[in-house]
Formats: sequence, structure tokens, C-alpha cells
Amino acid sequence: MSVRYFVKKISLKFSVMMTTVVLAAMLVWLAAAYRENGSRAIFLPDQVMTLFPDPKPLTAFAFTDHENRVFDLSRLKGKWSFLFFGYTHCPDICPTTLATLARAHENIAKSTAGAKDVQFVFISVDPNRDTASKLGQYVSYFDATFLGVTGDDAQLGKLAGQLGAAYQVEVKPGAENYPVYHAAAVFLVDPRARYLAVFAPPLDAQEVGRRFEVLRQLDGPKAI
Amino acid sequence: MRWRHSVFAGLMSALTALAAATEDAGITVRDAWVRETPPGMAMTAGYMVLQNKTSRRQVLVAARSSGFETVTIHRTVAKEGMTGMEHSPQIQLLPNASLPFAPGGYHLMLLNPKRTLHAGDRVEITLEFRGGLVLPVAYEVRR
Ligand SMILES: [Cu+2]
Repeated sequence: MSVRYFVKKISLKFSVMMTTVVLAAMLVWLAAAYRENGSRAIFLPDQVMTLFPDPKPLTAFAFTDHENRVFDLSRLKGKWSFLFFGYTHCPDICPTTLATLARAHENIAKSTAGAKDVQFVFISVDPNRDTASKLGQYVSYFDATFLGVTGDDAQLGKLAGQLGAAYQVEVKPGAENYPVYHAAAVFLVDPRARYLAVFAPPLDAQEVGRRFEVLRQLDGPKAI
Repeated sequence: MRWRHSVFAGLMSALTALAAATEDAGITVRDAWVRETPPGMAMTAGYMVLQNKTSRRQVLVAARSSGFETVTIHRTVAKEGMTGMEHSPQIQLLPNASLPFAPGGYHLMLLNPKRTLHAGDRVEITLEFRGGLVLPVAYEVRR
């Protein structure tokens, strides 16, 4: 029996990224306090979210969404995007994260600015099993507005590499189940398609929503 | 055919005795739940808090259920910045300690449910401990 492996490892890049993340972990999180006190923003390390002071513009990639439309870089422009990598045959981390993101979406929708300029994108690293229709069925179970996208290994690698989202899929032809490893973090891309922040697991819907509100306020209306 | 019945009855009382023994041994389970399966999905996970109220170490060695094709004990692990699952064939319960099965950690991996699970349903899964102790547990299906 032949065993084929598609292995995409970005571990070195990932560790470099994590180092950057740690160095960049001085966070504008007390911006809320800054607003209240009129004092200067205080930078604090944050367990929940790491904000990049100099967000990197993302470069081209091409996926297909669950309605068979092209999902490329242009689809990240003009909206805040929460990106999560996973696969539908994932019984633990993926449903947990998507359920949390659905609650975060509810919280954001209740805020004064609303959620019209926000999208949540589930990126399947398992295109072998996750067809468009399967992805659609899966993501809309959690939230009717969620997008499910996927692409081939080369395209997945293009975006994952830029975000430091390591993944590894060991496809065994004919086998129903095979191991998939993927990042558990949620990536935030700003409306100019720049990689702005990353949320570390375990995720909390309220914390994600709160921090996002601060970021959106700081960014101001000029962004869109 | 009468002997068959008595064999069956004998077996049942033996099982009941075993279950009672487990109660005596003081392994309890609380907050047992199974995640509702998203449409079209044939796998899900079960969670709970295991509590070993005995003064001895206990070992969870298996789980089974007539409600699923297979039940395995898994753990979500981090590996080089990624998460994945690994099989955990034996789980030690320290004396007088509790061990959570929770999202992002230990879970019962439930494959191919015999019927579609909806929030509010109940499903029974039997936990087996070293030494032959068995503990049937009712899990609530939650969204
Ligand atoms: Cu599992």
C-alpha cells in the first residue's frame, strides 16, 4: 500500500515568527484606558492577542470559497478578516474555535460599529476531503455568514507562510481518516489586507471581541 | 432454553456487581457531554470531568459505546506550533484527584454515530478501568 505525504512545514519560519511575536508583544492594549484617561497609550504584553506594530501587507494567493467563487487577496480588502486554518474532520479544536468565533461575531455585531465590515474565514488545509459543498454545510452550521475556503497545497502554503500558520497533512489514499496538524491561532487581517494581529488559543469570545473593538477604533474610519 | 436465561441473568448481576464495585472504588464522572455533530460530519468528541476519589491510582484503559462505530481516547497536542490529535491508550488518574476531558485536551473521539445526534439527546458511553471496573456514563449532547 502506497502512502503519499503532503507535508508543508513552516516550522523554522514559525519559530522566527514566534520570536518576532514575543518581541512585538508590547501591546496597545491599554488603549481603552488611554481613551478614558486622555493619557498616552501604554504598551503591555498580552496573553490573548499579539499586535504587530508594523503590519505586513499580504501578497497574492488564490483559493475557492464554499460557493465556488474565487477567494483571493482582493477578498481581504475593505473588510476586517478573522482567519482560521483547520479541516472539517476535526472533532475537537476546529468546532471549538468556530463556535467561539461565532460568539465573538455575535458580540461584535452588537457593538455600535456592528459587524458589517467583518468576515470570518475558515481555511481548510484538507482540500482532499473538504469540497466546496462540504465546507459550506460545515461553516454555516456555526454561523450563516462564515466563509469556508480552500485551495491546493501551493496556494495554501502562500497564505499560511505569510501568517506563520504551520500545517501538515498526511493524506493516505483510500483511507477515511488521516492525521492533520494545523495552527490553533486565529489571524486578524485589517481592511488593507495587512496581517495585523494574532489571537492565541484557547480563545475566549468576549476577549477576542473586546480587543477587536479597540483595534477597530484605533484604526479609525480612514481604513476603508 | 432456560439455562440461557439464567446465564444471562448471572452475567447481568456480575456486571451490576462490577458497576457497584466501581461506585465503591469511588470513580465518578461529572459534566459529561458530547458535541452535536455538524451536518454531514461523522465524528465528534466527548468531554467530562473524571474524579478519582480513592486513595489509589486508577487507569482508564478504554471506552466503548453502542452508539458509535468506534470510541477512542484522544488528546489534542501541540507540535511545532501546530495542534493535532494523538491516541492516548492509558490515562492515569492520580489518587484523590480529578482529570478534565475538555476541548483542546483529552477527549473521547467518537466515530460514525449510529444515529444523528441532536442537542438534548443522551448517549451512553462505558468507561473501562484497569482491574475490570466498568462505569457506564450518560453524556448529554450539546451544541
Ligand atoms: Cu480526537
